[in-house]
Amino acid sequence: MMELLNNLWFGISVAATPQNLLLCLVGALVGTLIGVLPGIGPVATIAMLLPITYGLPPVGALIMLAGIYYGAMYGGSTTAILVNIPGESASVVTTLDGFQMALQGRAGPALAIAAIGSFFAGCVATVIIAAAAAPLTSIALLFGPAEYFSLMVLGLIFAVVLAKGSVLKAICMILFGLVLSMVGSDLETGAGRMNFNIPELADGIGFVVIAMGVFGFAEVLRNLEVEHNRSIVQEKITGLMPTRADLEAAAPAVGRGTILGSILGILPGGGSVIAAFAAYTLEKKISKYPQRFGRGAIEGVAGPETANNAASQTSFIPLLTLGIPPNAVMALMVGAMTIHGIVPGPQVMTKQPELFWGMIASMWFGNLMLLVINLPLVGLWVRLLRVPYRMLYPMILIFCCIGVYSINNAPADVYMTAAFALVGYWLVKHDFEPAPMLLGFVLGPLMEENLRRAMLIARGDWTVFLTRPISGALIALSTILLVIAVLPMIRKRRDEVFVE
Amino acid sequence: MAEGAGQPADKKSQPTGFIRNPQDFWGGVALVAFAVFTLWASGDLPGMRGFAFGPGTAPRLFSWLLVATGAAVAINGLIVAGPPLEKWGIRAPVLFIASVVFFGATVRPLGLIISAFFTLMIASTATREVRWIEAAIWSAALTAFCVGLFVYGLNLPLQLWPR
Repeated sequence: MMELLNNLWFGISVAATPQNLLLCLVGALVGTLIGVLPGIGPVATIAMLLPITYGLPPVGALIMLAGIYYGAMYGGSTTAILVNIPGESASVVTTLDGFQMALQGRAGPALAIAAIGSFFAGCVATVIIAAAAAPLTSIALLFGPAEYFSLMVLGLIFAVVLAKGSVLKAICMILFGLVLSMVGSDLETGAGRMNFNIPELADGIGFVVIAMGVFGFAEVLRNLEVEHNRSIVQEKITGLMPTRADLEAAAPAVGRGTILGSILGILPGGGSVIAAFAAYTLEKKISKYPQRFGRGAIEGVAGPETANNAASQTSFIPLLTLGIPPNAVMALMVGAMTIHGIVPGPQVMTKQPELFWGMIASMWFGNLMLLVINLPLVGLWVRLLRVPYRMLYPMILIFCCIGVYSINNAPADVYMTAAFALVGYWLVKHDFEPAPMLLGFVLGPLMEENLRRAMLIARGDWTVFLTRPISGALIALSTILLVIAVLPMIRKRRDEVFVE
Repeated sequence: MAEGAGQPADKKSQPTGFIRNPQDFWGGVALVAFAVFTLWASGDLPGMRGFAFGPGTAPRLFSWLLVATGAAVAINGLIVAGPPLEKWGIRAPVLFIASVVFFGATVRPLGLIISAFFTLMIASTATREVRWIEAAIWSAALTAFCVGLFVYGLNLPLQLWPR
């Protein structure tokens, strides 16, 4: 316990330097700004803003990126409440009751309760991360290659099961990402693989290239096709503060959302989206008046908003302790860390404690800032929503272009991003989810390395993954999950959750 | 694995004939084709030597798995009905991608200012609601903003004018 407090204090001292506080503030602000703009989710936001962190020191860069992340999450719920457009997929459920509240002239309390709930969840999640990090890291150090491989398999299976849409197609996407990650020189022998002697492919396909192509550009292409009719709540937002009755109704929902979100966030795969859905379902189930939901029930805003914030923060746990990204946003964080020369994993905590604890402590500061900035700035965000899409997408385009180009100062990276934009557009047209692909792409080299090492140690015996106890348990769990997910009955229930 | 059943197809537009879910079918076929291509591309890499993986082992392993799952998606697309193929836009993808390629081709020889401005102008025409004067002003403003942010603010090594 003392150690935990010491560590947190150390982290606070790192995060509270003027420079880092400023980066955190800028990150949270810019993240909210971009997150508010409809049609740009957190993944695209982070991908787009990655270049502005190139020149920063690693700690500052990660603090800023984390700020951008939860800023974007928060911005997403603002649009959900005010315009009925979920800024990102986790705030889809917020539109159900949040927009109804806005129509009844209670947009202020809805926004306030979302902010307060998120702040509360953020505080709790920060402590959970700090507390869980040390034990999990020591477990991670016991892991051999076989265990790591099995853990990654479990992570990918979770991603498949918790994602929406077809399980089979999600597996396809993971494998697509894995195959793409094999391009470039082999880590052990240095042999060039599938690079067709093109020098630009010798180091493999850049992570940012795929992320910006498939998430940034492809999203723009898709958005250019849909008509943009936005019904912004025109009434002036008055009375920001929730009433006492609002607070009393929302408080238990906030508590439940925090617990549910924290647990679901740690699980690989779904992260904040599934947490928000689960919280909404839970609130509706246990409510005495379920018929109020969908007509502006404040619990229907408080629960999911709290849960998605808790989950988006606890999803840092697998990344920071095991080095395994549980969802697409965390995969992007891995990419960002690699650009700064940091290999995510258990060694980060021991070798770079200032980075680890500084980042955790900055999450608390970031949440506090969001609470303070967002409520007074709501008016500004609303005005931003009126910016037409024809002015937004050129901005996304030029940011992504400059960002991709300046990683290596290589025009070839820009061309490849254009190619992946078409790949992403094609995936959307065939109803393939791109997120598992990104996850497969990031995990590919790690999986190969651990698979190789495990096989070498076991002298070519494939059963090693089943006979080692921890590895065997992980594989068994993955199998059970997969079987459950494809059972028709459960699948129907799962689809219902996403449809609701 | 009746996955396509997840999204109930619109009755009116439901395709009839041999391929019942063209989205899945052609998606699966394309992925199989891609995997066959990577199998060919990694064919010359050495494989297993005793217990040790060669550089070609993992790429071929993943490619074979992709062949299998891609084929499963395609076969599933034959059996279970689903939505028809979505039309591809022409204007937006062509002009948007053209602008990205233009940026890649010109940022070095022409420098950031000229390259970014024309990239933005090309991109602005990708939407049907294009307004020329507004687009020109906005492109100029964005170019100035990018120069200020990336070159002066963040010190990224970008050339401003043609060399």
